[in-house]
Amino acid sequence: MSIALSAQSIRASLGDVEVLHGIDLSLVAGRWTSIVGPNGAGKSTLLKVLAGLLPHSGTVTLLGQPLSSLPGRVRAQQLAWLGQNESSADDLTVWDVAMLGRLPHQPWLSSPSAADHAAVEQALRATQAWDWRARALGQLSGGERQRVLLARALAVQAQVLLMDEPLANLDPPHQTDWMGIVRALVAQGSTVVSVLHEVSIALQADDVVVMANGRVLHHGAAHHPATHTAVEQVFDGRISIHAVADQWVVLPRL
Amino acid sequence: MNKSSFMTMRRAAGLLGWALGLTLWLGLHSAVQALQITDDRGTTVTLAQPPQRIVSLLPSLTEMVCALDQCQRLVGVDRYSNFPASVRALPQVGGGLDPNIEAVVALKPNVVLMATSARASERLQALGIKVVALEPKTHADVRRVLEKIGALLGVDDAQRVWRVIDASVSAAAQSLPPAARSTRVYFEVSGGPYGAGESSFIGETLTRLGVKNILPASLGPFPKLNPEFVVRADPDLIMVGDTNYIGMEQRPGWGNMRAMRDKRVCVFNRDEADMLVRPGPRMVDGARLMARCIADKMAPHTP
Amino acid sequence: MMNQRASAIALVLLLIAVALVAVGLGVGSTGFESILHAVDDPVAWQIVWNIRLPRTLGAWVAGALLGLAGAVAQGLFRNPLADPYLLGSASGASLGVALSLVLFGVSPFATQWLMRLGLTAGAFAGAVAGVLLTLLLAKGVQHTLRLLLAGVIVGVVLGAAKELIMLARPDFLQSMQSFMLGSTGYVGWSAFNIMLLTWLLCMGAAWLLSPVLDGLALGEATAASLGLPLARLRRALVAVLALATGAAVAQTGLVAFVGLAAPHLVRSVVKTSHGRLIGLSSLAGGVLLMAADILARWVIAPQELPVGVLTALLGGGYLLWLMHQRGLSRGVM
Repeated sequence: MSIALSAQSIRASLGDVEVLHGIDLSLVAGRWTSIVGPNGAGKSTLLKVLAGLLPHSGTVTLLGQPLSSLPGRVRAQQLAWLGQNESSADDLTVWDVAMLGRLPHQPWLSSPSAADHAAVEQALRATQAWDWRARALGQLSGGERQRVLLARALAVQAQVLLMDEPLANLDPPHQTDWMGIVRALVAQGSTVVSVLHEVSIALQADDVVVMANGRVLHHGAAHHPATHTAVEQVFDGRISIHAVADQWVVLPRL
Repeated sequence: MNKSSFMTMRRAAGLLGWALGLTLWLGLHSAVQALQITDDRGTTVTLAQPPQRIVSLLPSLTEMVCALDQCQRLVGVDRYSNFPASVRALPQVGGGLDPNIEAVVALKPNVVLMATSARASERLQALGIKVVALEPKTHADVRRVLEKIGALLGVDDAQRVWRVIDASVSAAAQSLPPAARSTRVYFEVSGGPYGAGESSFIGETLTRLGVKNILPASLGPFPKLNPEFVVRADPDLIMVGDTNYIGMEQRPGWGNMRAMRDKRVCVFNRDEADMLVRPGPRMVDGARLMARCIADKMAPHTP
Repeated sequence: MMNQRASAIALVLLLIAVALVAVGLGVGSTGFESILHAVDDPVAWQIVWNIRLPRTLGAWVAGALLGLAGAVAQGLFRNPLADPYLLGSASGASLGVALSLVLFGVSPFATQWLMRLGLTAGAFAGAVAGVLLTLLLAKGVQHTLRLLLAGVIVGVVLGAAKELIMLARPDFLQSMQSFMLGSTGYVGWSAFNIMLLTWLLCMGAAWLLSPVLDGLALGEATAASLGLPLARLRRALVAVLALATGAAVAQTGLVAFVGLAAPHLVRSVVKTSHGRLIGLSSLAGGVLLMAADILARWVIAPQELPVGVLTALLGGGYLLWLMHQRGLSRGVM
């Protein structure tokens, strides 16, 4: 059981305000971990720190190596990050956007190789975006665009995949598809970490990290009662978690 | 003579004296009453007596006041008035187009002389200051404005001053050798290039000197030219200010013009340019400057 | 198939450019007869070969430089309203010209050098200095917003400095105005060669750097997560921007709108990655400026309109039409 991603004594600030107050976390390889917590808990910030995108104090280790010692390209080949949509790439085609995910693997300015083509096709088929690969991003709906951005992250074929609100704009069938993709990746040995505010789906993961106010309150298996109690408590007892047909469901408690 | 007749005579003398005095006073007053000037805006300005404290906001007007020997009446000028040297010691009240209203008012002028195109006139008039707007642009204007200022200042020297100016310009024209009369001149006013056409002040001076302007009158006073036009026209002589002379030789095609090849270029520094450009009494100096340069450059010489 | 379309458009733009060169040779103070007489009249020959040809070609290269710079600026700032003058290059160039005019006559040394280098050196130095000042103020290229803000501040401050000089020396007013509105009037063969060299250099560099712009289109964080060394590459792009803009502005003055309109023009007919966008935008800019220059020389011949006025009319008019079209079909530009 190896550790894919670990964090020691992470402190991070946004502007002058400290947002993460000392996080220690170890994420096992080959599992899907979801991070839940109320708004402003620091979930997205933590994910960015784990991806090496924010300055922080403390250490992040990726697959046994300190993240800061890895050259950018090497890190990009091993860790893919999908953030909340801030793209302005309306003119690029779906295929072009997905191909951007291969940048870490391509020598500078080279044409896509056969491996690149295969990776892009696989990613686009997995998100069911292959049929409209020639369309421009700007012509797609919100949900379709999200699937393309997801395909871009999948095309990296990285061992560790960090995703922040990957289900934005996705309708239920495609949310299910996403879960299927994640389960398949994990089955192959990849590590997936997702920040989700859809708690029901978050509970489908292998492990759950519960965060509030810049600290980790609980880290445990998703099916464990202690995890459920922690989740209910972090939301001030305004939700309750129930078992329905083998799965855990979150209901509001009025 | 008895006492009563003496008293009568004294009374009569007193009466006479008083009547004389009254007549004298009335006469004087009517002579200087209602000094009226119609300025270039068409506005009629009335003054009780000739102004003793004058602020001038246009260099050419400053020079005209001094040419009429009334320099001492100036209490303030704009920052661009620089001739004669004595006016540089006067308080400067800002630019001609954007004077410092407060500074003008503080000088308590009887009248302010300024260009017609300045907006400050409304503000000054609203503050109760008399404004006379005059803007000489042509040779004829110099005469006209000189006479207006003469009337305003209450001196009748203006016509004589003009005659001297006029005669001097004619003399400058005469001083040119006959061969130089057919010289074709190009006067570049500023980068662009902008040339001086026949209807500009400079163009008029050139015409009076008897030389030809390569720019036809149809192009207006300051046309912005295609540099090609000058190359094609191939002037005999080029006149230009020193800063605009920068890079003139490198302009495509210009190096081959005969004026550039034979170095027949009159380059004027800033002070000389002031004389050439201002429609005022120093047009004489400007004309002489041009005439001297033309005679000098166009004199047949062995290179 | 977008690549095929892009290639087709490139070809069309080149053909239009060639056609415009032919027209440009016939336009000026004398019109077409100069070409007909060129064979036997040396002055006519000189007009066509030494004046009109380098000037027309120069207009193309200057437009190409501005189109290139505009595409780079819009990619770098991820903003369709960006233009090459954003980082203080325009105000720096104007101040450079004003200072050159003022320093003339101050000392024989200054005068000698100014006569040799002319005002173009002052404009170029000023443009580059303006960009450097912006980079200094923004403390590097890390934060796009800070860079933009610094550019605006530098533009305003240097502009004010120039205005102070104009106040002290109103005799420069017309010369400065003709610089501010742009003109190809003084572009000869040497100026053309300098611009052409710069264009080749900048095109090569921009093409090399274009993957960064594509990555940036996904957002800065995503681009960083893909392993792109953003700071280094952004600095290089800013350098390309400064060089291209400075070279164009030094020779033709401040021509408005070409840098802004050319990329939009291209994007309205083809959607493509930044590498091709920059190339096509460059070609489009060349055509735009060349057409405007021909009109500027033709409309009131033998007088000339400032070419910047015409680029604003042409470019602005086209953008207006484009907005109207898009307003009819979709909501936002």
